[in-house]
Amino acid sequence: MTAAAETLVPRRTITPLARAWAFVKRHALTAYAVLAFLYFLLPIAVVVLFSFNAPRGRFNYTWKGFTLDNWRNWDAVPGLTDAIKISLEIAVLSSLLATALGTLIALALVRYGFRGRGPTNLLIFLPMSTPEIVMGASLLTLFLTLSVATGFMTILIAHIMFCISFVVVTVKARLVGFDRHLEEAAMDLGANEWTTFQKVTLPLIMPAILAGALLSFALSVDDFVITYFNSGNTVTFPIFVWGAARVATPPQINVVGTVIFVVAVGLMLGNVLFQRGRTRAAA
Amino acid sequence: MTDHMTREELLRRGVAGASILSIPGLLAACGGSSSSQSAATTTSAKQVPHNIHFSNWTLYLDIDEKTKTYPTLVKFEKHYGVNVKYTEDINDNPSFFAKIKPQLSSGESTGRDIIVMTDNSPYPALLVEKGWVEKLDKAAIPNIKNLRSSQRHPAWDPNREYSLPWQSGMTGIASNTSLTGKPLTSMDELLENPKYKGRVTLLNEMADTMTPVILANGDDPAKVTEQVFNAALNRIKKAVGSGQIRQFTGNDYSGPLAKGDLAAAVAWSGDVVQLNLDNPHLVWNVPDAGGEIWTDNMLIPNGGDVYTASLLMNWYYRPDIAAAVADYVNYISPVEGAKEVLQKSDPKAANNPLIFPPDETLNSVHVFEPSQLNNPDYLSKWNALVTA
Amino acid sequence: MGFFHRHRWLTPYALLAPGTLWLVVFFVVPLGFLGYQSLEENNPVELTSSFSWAWHNYSDAISTYHTQFVRSLEYAGLATLIALVVSYPLAYFIAFRGGQWKNLLLLLIVAPFFVTYLIRTLAWQNILADNGVVVGFLRDIHVLSANGRVLQTGTAVVAGITYNFLPFMALPLYVSLEQIDSHLLEAAEDLYASKLHAFLRVTLPLSLPGVFAGTLLTFIPAAGDFINAQLLGSPRNHMIGNVIQSRFLNLNDYPEAAALSFILMAAILVGVLVYARTLGTERLTG
Repeated sequence: MTAAAETLVPRRTITPLARAWAFVKRHALTAYAVLAFLYFLLPIAVVVLFSFNAPRGRFNYTWKGFTLDNWRNWDAVPGLTDAIKISLEIAVLSSLLATALGTLIALALVRYGFRGRGPTNLLIFLPMSTPEIVMGASLLTLFLTLSVATGFMTILIAHIMFCISFVVVTVKARLVGFDRHLEEAAMDLGANEWTTFQKVTLPLIMPAILAGALLSFALSVDDFVITYFNSGNTVTFPIFVWGAARVATPPQINVVGTVIFVVAVGLMLGNVLFQRGRTRAAA
Repeated sequence: MTDHMTREELLRRGVAGASILSIPGLLAACGGSSSSQSAATTTSAKQVPHNIHFSNWTLYLDIDEKTKTYPTLVKFEKHYGVNVKYTEDINDNPSFFAKIKPQLSSGESTGRDIIVMTDNSPYPALLVEKGWVEKLDKAAIPNIKNLRSSQRHPAWDPNREYSLPWQSGMTGIASNTSLTGKPLTSMDELLENPKYKGRVTLLNEMADTMTPVILANGDDPAKVTEQVFNAALNRIKKAVGSGQIRQFTGNDYSGPLAKGDLAAAVAWSGDVVQLNLDNPHLVWNVPDAGGEIWTDNMLIPNGGDVYTASLLMNWYYRPDIAAAVADYVNYISPVEGAKEVLQKSDPKAANNPLIFPPDETLNSVHVFEPSQLNNPDYLSKWNALVTA
Repeated sequence: MGFFHRHRWLTPYALLAPGTLWLVVFFVVPLGFLGYQSLEENNPVELTSSFSWAWHNYSDAISTYHTQFVRSLEYAGLATLIALVVSYPLAYFIAFRGGQWKNLLLLLIVAPFFVTYLIRTLAWQNILADNGVVVGFLRDIHVLSANGRVLQTGTAVVAGITYNFLPFMALPLYVSLEQIDSHLLEAAEDLYASKLHAFLRVTLPLSLPGVFAGTLLTFIPAAGDFINAQLLGSPRNHMIGNVIQSRFLNLNDYPEAAALSFILMAAILVGVLVYARTLGTERLTG
């Protein structure tokens, strides 16, 4: 064999050390991901655990014993279940609307040249950089000046407002690297602009839209300061928890949090399995 | 009642922003024109109770866990045939005040008939001073006679014309005896004993922390002169600078206290009642030199329905009703007779000295001079310390 | 649709209109109120304020609180950096190895938000308690002194900010990484690039829009954060957000709080501009 040919054929003598190293390299990323997820979900694990705690007092800080009572009396704290319902409603509605509005803005910013790009970009960055307390209070001033009663609707309006920026930035990150050739190909094949958008662009940017929606949801369900100022006497979940924490941390809060987490993951899991079933059937 | 204005009248009179100063003038003119004596005989006959909105702090009213209702409130509703919208939307004094201030200052109604604010914050005094709260209809509150004598004449509302206590609490020293050996009873221990360095917290409310320290300095918190204030402040500053003080907290000292991260904390009596149930080493004491007492007060913001709100206040001053509330909330009831009622149904609570403190305890807790609570100089200095 | 064909120039404005209108009405107008307020003279005793071109609000703000300003930018910057380092491999994993589980994994990243901030933080206080397992371990390996603690330190504040903003870094990174065509990487490897080389020359540059987006979504809100410093820090760790919060609520000093906010926003925007220029905005934002 020639020298050149020898270098092209991989040597078959792999030492155990090299094998081990290859194993590590292959699985290092997975191991890291597992660790990272554990780190993310560590507080949730504590929350779930303490939903089974049986404190004698009103605070749920130290483990006292296992009980299913909190789960049996999951709605024993009036106001808690109402608050979580309102929070979820607002989160779903606001993330839907913010995602829609934000995606449109992102499309405009990336795809088109137009006058006012600079100011538009500024308009997107400003809400993220404004401290919540002044934003909440100023918005309240606006509502009062316009004689708009504060409550569910004003909370919704506020949430949409501060979520739009996050959606824009997230979707833009996707649109920037988007291969326009795909769209051009579709149009060469006779599709008009709307069909192209529907059948080519939208599916390809869907991951970004979904990511934006998830971020909006997270922001909305967790917001406290802006919500507090613009909520009138509507009580959302964070407002309830903050208020309650002055005198108690009822385990029912943990129960409700666990349920939401489990339901959300369950729904997503169901969706994934359903999709897998579909692709398998199609294959 | 001639000094009660309907919401429509208020809105008509209110002019956004600019005429802030004229509103109290108008209210004073209305209120001063008729004395309460002539009002008494004419009002009760004419007034009819209406639906009202009662805003309160979270978990501050007795709940029946099985029916998920507020039994004492339901009884009131049935008795008077009205509906009470009860919302737990008061989280802390400054935020709630910031939330209702725009409406009050422009003469509009807040939509609430009763609000509850703490007297160790500047706000109850401010609300009275600026004329943003209505006078109570005392004719509708005969049970006011049950108000504890020690709470009848607070400096900021000397004749209880605008407010009535809801619950009180005491601020003192919570200690973890498994870490401190014996219960700590002196602010000196918290501020200067190096054994507890980094394991002590103070409260971030100025009155809560400054009052015990002023007392520990031998001064009188009822007269907070600049010298008195600075002496106490400097002492705390030193403790913060040396790392003695770990943090200024709201009630988030409860977690670290329960977990043993803290040896001691300036804390509220009601919290320790709860923590003690799970950890008998956590005890609470009034400091030797004296502690602080704070009271959450019911107030009627402008535009509220004075008659019905007064009826509700009167209801909660019935000893049996007050006993039910105290039994659940576990803070100090302002109503005489509540303890005796509770003796029969829940003697443990009735005899708990943190829920029904004996007179000698009540005499050892004081309040920070109310007129100085909004002193801008004091507030800035305190803020600079707490927020650095 | 025909209308937009004929009037092509209208399309971007039509796309922008709903969202920007929303922002103009519900953000810019309130911001205008805030601007007006920042130039008012505050009367804390009377609880009133009156407009008087009070520029000293701004100069007072900078002179009194420059420490907190700088500290906020430091903490936010540090948290952003750590978030980037922690999130990148995770986003890479989900994008390239996630397969059909991608959406579920993304949900798991955001899941901690379903329990409120306070509950999450209480859980961390539980985990990081002075005589808990974690701190005990850190003391054993001498990362901490024998009496050392994690809570109520600058470290805890930065850790809290990082943890709470990780999804804001991870999701944009994922978005950018997910669209990288694996064929490009195959081509690189066919051309004798090692895995590392392929990563550095192909993946990393293509993911820069995501890095840019993620760092913005993390740094900008983090600089104005107050809650982590309040619960996890001591007064020595307080950020400008805490100052604004306390001036507003506790001192009823709306003008000063407004001035502080504008200074913060200006500082952030300048930083973002410099950052964008350095990375080359044209490439990143199209």
